[in-house]
Amino acid sequence: MAQIPNLDNASLNLTSLREQSQKELINILKNIRGKKCLIIDPKLGGSLSSIIQTSLLKEHGVELRHLSAEPIQSDCTKVVFLVRSKIDLMKFICSNVHNDISKGLQREYHVYFVPRRAVVCEKVLEDEKVHQLMTIGEYPLYVVPLDEDVLSFELDLAYKESQVDGDTSSLWHIAKAIHKLEMVVPEINTLILLDREVDMVTPMCSQLTYEGLIDEFLHINNGSVELDASIMGVQQEGKKIKVPLNSSDKLFKEIRDLNFEVVVQILRQKATSMKQDYTEMTTTTQTVSELKDFVKKLNSLPEITRHINLAQHLSTFTSKPSFLGQLDMEHTIVEAQSYDICYEYIEEMIHKQEPLVNVLRLLILFSVTNSGLPKKHFDYLRRELLHSYGFEHMATLNNLEKAGLLKKQETKSNWLTIKRALQLVVDDTDTANPNDIAYVFSGYAPLSIRLIQHAVRSGWRPIEEILKLLPGPHSETKRGRFSSSPSFDTLQGASANIDRAADGRRSLVLVVFIGGVTFAEISALRFLTAQEGMAYDMIIGTTKIVSGHNLAETFVEKLG
Amino acid sequence: MANVSVAAEWQLLGDRYYRKPDLYHPLRWKHIDLSRNKVACAPFGGPIALIRDDSKIVQLYAESALRKLRIFNSAGVPLSETIWKNPGGRLIGLSWTDDQTLVCIVQDGTVYRYTSHAELLEPNFSILGQEYLDENVVECVFWGNGVVCVTDACKVFSIADFKSKNPRPLRLADPAPEGIEELPHCVAVIEPQYTMSGNVEVLLAIGDGVVMVEEDEVQPLPLPPGDGPLQKMVVSGDGRFVASFTHDGRMAVYSTRLEKIFEYECESALPPEQLAWCGLDSVLLYWDDMLLMVGPSDEPVRYLYDEPIVLIPECDGVRILSNSSIEFLQLVPNSTVSIFKIGSTSPAALLYDALDHFDRRSAKADENLRLIRSSLSEAVEACVDAAGHEFDVSRQRTLLRAASYGQAFCSNFHRDRIQEMCKTLRVLNAVRSPEIGIPLSIQQYKLLTPSVLIGRLINAHQHLLALRISDYLGMNQEVVIMHWACSKITASLAIPDATLLEILLDKLKLCKGISYAAVAAHADKNGRRKLAAMLVEHEPRSSKQVPLLLSIGEEDTALIKATESGDTDLVYLVLFHILQKRQPLEFFGMIQARTLARDLFINYARCYKHEFLKDFFLSTGQLQEVAFLLWKESWELGKNPMASKGSPLHGPRIKLTEKAQSLFAETKEHTFESKAAEEHAKLLRIQHELEVTTKQAIFVDSSISDTIRTCIVLGNHRAAMKVKTEFKVSEKRWYWLKIFALATIRDWEALEKFSKEKRPPIGYRPFVEACIEADEKGESLKYIPKLTDPRERAESYARIGMAKEAADAASQAKDGELLGRLKLTFAQNAAASSIFDTLRDRLGVS
Repeated sequence: MAQIPNLDNASLNLTSLREQSQKELINILKNIRGKKCLIIDPKLGGSLSSIIQTSLLKEHGVELRHLSAEPIQSDCTKVVFLVRSKIDLMKFICSNVHNDISKGLQREYHVYFVPRRAVVCEKVLEDEKVHQLMTIGEYPLYVVPLDEDVLSFELDLAYKESQVDGDTSSLWHIAKAIHKLEMVVPEINTLILLDREVDMVTPMCSQLTYEGLIDEFLHINNGSVELDASIMGVQQEGKKIKVPLNSSDKLFKEIRDLNFEVVVQILRQKATSMKQDYTEMTTTTQTVSELKDFVKKLNSLPEITRHINLAQHLSTFTSKPSFLGQLDMEHTIVEAQSYDICYEYIEEMIHKQEPLVNVLRLLILFSVTNSGLPKKHFDYLRRELLHSYGFEHMATLNNLEKAGLLKKQETKSNWLTIKRALQLVVDDTDTANPNDIAYVFSGYAPLSIRLIQHAVRSGWRPIEEILKLLPGPHSETKRGRFSSSPSFDTLQGASANIDRAADGRRSLVLVVFIGGVTFAEISALRFLTAQEGMAYDMIIGTTKIVSGHNLAETFVEKLG
Repeated sequence: MANVSVAAEWQLLGDRYYRKPDLYHPLRWKHIDLSRNKVACAPFGGPIALIRDDSKIVQLYAESALRKLRIFNSAGVPLSETIWKNPGGRLIGLSWTDDQTLVCIVQDGTVYRYTSHAELLEPNFSILGQEYLDENVVECVFWGNGVVCVTDACKVFSIADFKSKNPRPLRLADPAPEGIEELPHCVAVIEPQYTMSGNVEVLLAIGDGVVMVEEDEVQPLPLPPGDGPLQKMVVSGDGRFVASFTHDGRMAVYSTRLEKIFEYECESALPPEQLAWCGLDSVLLYWDDMLLMVGPSDEPVRYLYDEPIVLIPECDGVRILSNSSIEFLQLVPNSTVSIFKIGSTSPAALLYDALDHFDRRSAKADENLRLIRSSLSEAVEACVDAAGHEFDVSRQRTLLRAASYGQAFCSNFHRDRIQEMCKTLRVLNAVRSPEIGIPLSIQQYKLLTPSVLIGRLINAHQHLLALRISDYLGMNQEVVIMHWACSKITASLAIPDATLLEILLDKLKLCKGISYAAVAAHADKNGRRKLAAMLVEHEPRSSKQVPLLLSIGEEDTALIKATESGDTDLVYLVLFHILQKRQPLEFFGMIQARTLARDLFINYARCYKHEFLKDFFLSTGQLQEVAFLLWKESWELGKNPMASKGSPLHGPRIKLTEKAQSLFAETKEHTFESKAAEEHAKLLRIQHELEVTTKQAIFVDSSISDTIRTCIVLGNHRAAMKVKTEFKVSEKRWYWLKIFALATIRDWEALEKFSKEKRPPIGYRPFVEACIEADEKGESLKYIPKLTDPRERAESYARIGMAKEAADAASQAKDGELLGRLKLTFAQNAAASSIFDTLRDRLGVS
């Protein structure tokens, strides 16, 4: 199965979007004649893997390498750097070129920036005196379709950059990406933009959907997960294999959004029924059509095996007392009723020197729900953190403070009000037959999706008071289809007037998460879309698919 | 009948009719004698340039001895003039290029270019190569945008494209062998667009033959015997035929490879003054007072002129300019012939006649219509087409009325066709008016295209008409308004900025999406920087606005606009621009209060300009940021491999950290950081000492907790204790660290001793955890019974597989949920499972 997702069933013509990106890249390569060494910045390489097959690149005379501080060994006379326009990547390009110069190697250099050229990057190349040696171009990859209903803008540092560094470049890219989408897929008639800042609680909680859990423990990268071959029942010592995870896998499509508990049951049932069929098949006589059915079922056997293996592997993590303890603690923090228990739990984690990112997740969750920690606790926990993990993490603490994720308490927290008003904690959640999005976190309804749920059901107006309690401003704008000057009226209409498409088809809403979205939230949105009486189809745009782990990780920075 | 008078003006050449309507008569100019002047007329009804011919001896009446270059439109309305005092000898060649630049080539090869406003376009340049400057140009042949010159040494030079920024002269191959400097009798040119090579091909009649010269090749072309030497040659408009005049008075037409196609014996052996193609069907020869039109048939047409004329070839005929008038000699279009030919009974003629009857209320109109019912649409079409070819407005109107009349009875005729034609004719009539003076035929107009016509109108500063036409034709008005605005700025030196701005804005707003930045750039070029600044304020596209603001020195505004646009790339553009132009302190001052600009600068500088960033923070009093930078530096020193080898480098590291500490201490808000830096310095010192005493380089850069653990693992409890006291490590943390450290080295005895030192401040759970994780059930059993919380006890027992003990503890806790969970854990073990069921029953939980 290919890692590049099949998009044929998408409600939008995403295939053409992807083909355009493919073509643009191929054209860049075609225009540089002959054999060439293509040096890709590794993060970008990940994004490209959901766009184009490596073999196709090789067809165009490409020797593929990853950009790093180490100089590239290649005898190609033409070198093409394909990099995101990030300042810090420039030093790698420069060191490569300087290394060639010192060895007396003469090469033709091309630098293609993704998604566009950047003055600051070129300035660095100028400062380093390599700019005049290069041909500079751009590869306008703004949107990567990850699945039938998920688009990623591949801006994995968007949140940190804008909240900590004050670099809002990603916002411009998002605007451009949406604009580009509007051109390619004009069917979208409503756009909901949600800043991750509004809800930093949800991503910090452990996701309990099947796909979410895989991401939490095994880290899904650009639609696939890399595992030891032995886990997948392939007996090859030490070998890694990539397991693609997207809607092309029918079984995965069926179970990805379900609570993991349920997934285990479903897989068990499927395995049992398969076994029963097999026994019947070998013991009793069958008609031809029954045989046919059986063979059809057999075809799904590899999928079933794959997911049984995966699920089994996952349960080795989920059954650990430490994980159960952590889940318990997350719920206690979200409940926001027992401050001391939470505080002591986190203190103990630090004392035990548990992995820093795990500590930070809980700490962020704790600080956000309490709108900061009392000064005494704030200073104490920071000190314990520095003592346990090293003073270099002063930079990490500084980042978190700038982003407002770990701070001194200055006002009373609104979390209890928000939690109650939006019914974020749902006690009797039936994960097998859920009637609320809370099933994705076994009892906690993600705030972000709850907001969207309200917006599409009855508009922003009824929750206006709650919105005021959340970080950041909020606004609503209506725009005529062809009008170039949008009329801007804050909080005017409710989305109840979002025109339902006249022909009875559902109208299409693009929900954009600025700063990232988790798989669990995607699952919750899909759950909403699947509800009866829902007037909308929703597709999701995000700066990147995130988990609490990698979101917290972006803030970790060592002074050294 | 009116029809008869129309056809009476036609001449028959072979089986085809030609007509020669007046375009303008009389011309608006006064006292112009073409014979005294060199004349250049641009095709497509373009302007006429005149300059006194200095190769002729003429009598000066009341005029100045200074020569004037004068430019008129085709109706003889003067457009501009300038005094000609260019050095370089006689004027040899004068012609208009496609974009209506007047090219003048003088004897020494210098090329002067003028606009139609008689403004000299700098720079002048020479068509001759550097080493041929002493040669003289004797002959020039122009085409569209190029020229070929022949010098008195019989060298051939060419310029292929006057439109390019730097027209480059090219020397072609020598037509004659070295040493023989026989001048050609005549020269003709095949335009690059019609040649195989895509380069110009030059035909030169030398001696009795013709040679074809290209960039690096000369090819003699065999001429039919007896034809040479040729006196005149001219290539047809489609580049396929050459018309020529032989030495013995024959007009011959050849293919471009000089295979003869046709010839006509003239009465005179004297070569004509002018030879020109009229369309593709006939050739015009002009002697003194006679214009001879030769077609493929035997009998030519003769026109007599008692004044000098100039032939101006067009794509569909020839314009004939005389002192007093300008005429258009053309083949009468088929539609016109079918209507007006004497005795014509074509449907179109009958329709035209029917209208006449209808106007006179005669019933014959109906009769005519009935006669042509079956071919009515064809008749309507002919009337529409013929109207298009007319220059006479009343005749256009009559023909269109006839078409419209016919169309009323004709269901299958495309209505838009008449409307379209009316539109086209309105445009044509507008530009044909003498004030504008562009007498385009419909065919020329279509070839030229409306957008080029509009371009020509605006170049002639006929902005209003251009605007109306582009509006009328539904074309984008941006080019017109843009050109108008720029011309207005150039022409309005005396109007104050604010007033001019109002005038400009009033018009610019007509056009959505027009580039205010481009107009502003023009204003700036004209030295009106303030106006430029005011204009650029209105530019909605930041990507255009910001660079311009920078170029006019409005850096502050540029920074504001770039920031507002949200496009960080633009902000960087401004930042680097300012950085380059200003002193650092000034730069710092500018960005200090601007968050986005400041943050972006910091991001850039953090990566590549560390020291500069420090200066920035110092100058803006952000001491804590400087402290962070110093602290960071101290770490970078640590990464330096030299640092780990010997002690000396720890000194600087500690110093830097202490410096950071004192900077943090400057502000009250950074007490925490100050304290941390202080502790860090202290830690480095202790770690350094530890490395010296243990002779193991494993301490530096580990955390305080790690240092304690390492000490315990190494068995150095005193050192561990010392670190604990130095940094006031809490008892809680101390217990965790020591327990884990002892478990790591599996010193169970020490662990037990430690548990008994005093009552542990965090209870016995850490001991249990450490043992279980080290897989030491036996050890853990020493501590599990000491756990005070029965739930914890139950879970601990469960983790080491002791179901019964777990169950007992759980029941003590009276926790049903816990029992359920434990049961799950023991699911495989039937015996254990039943224990839980019994207990759950007893507790009354299902």
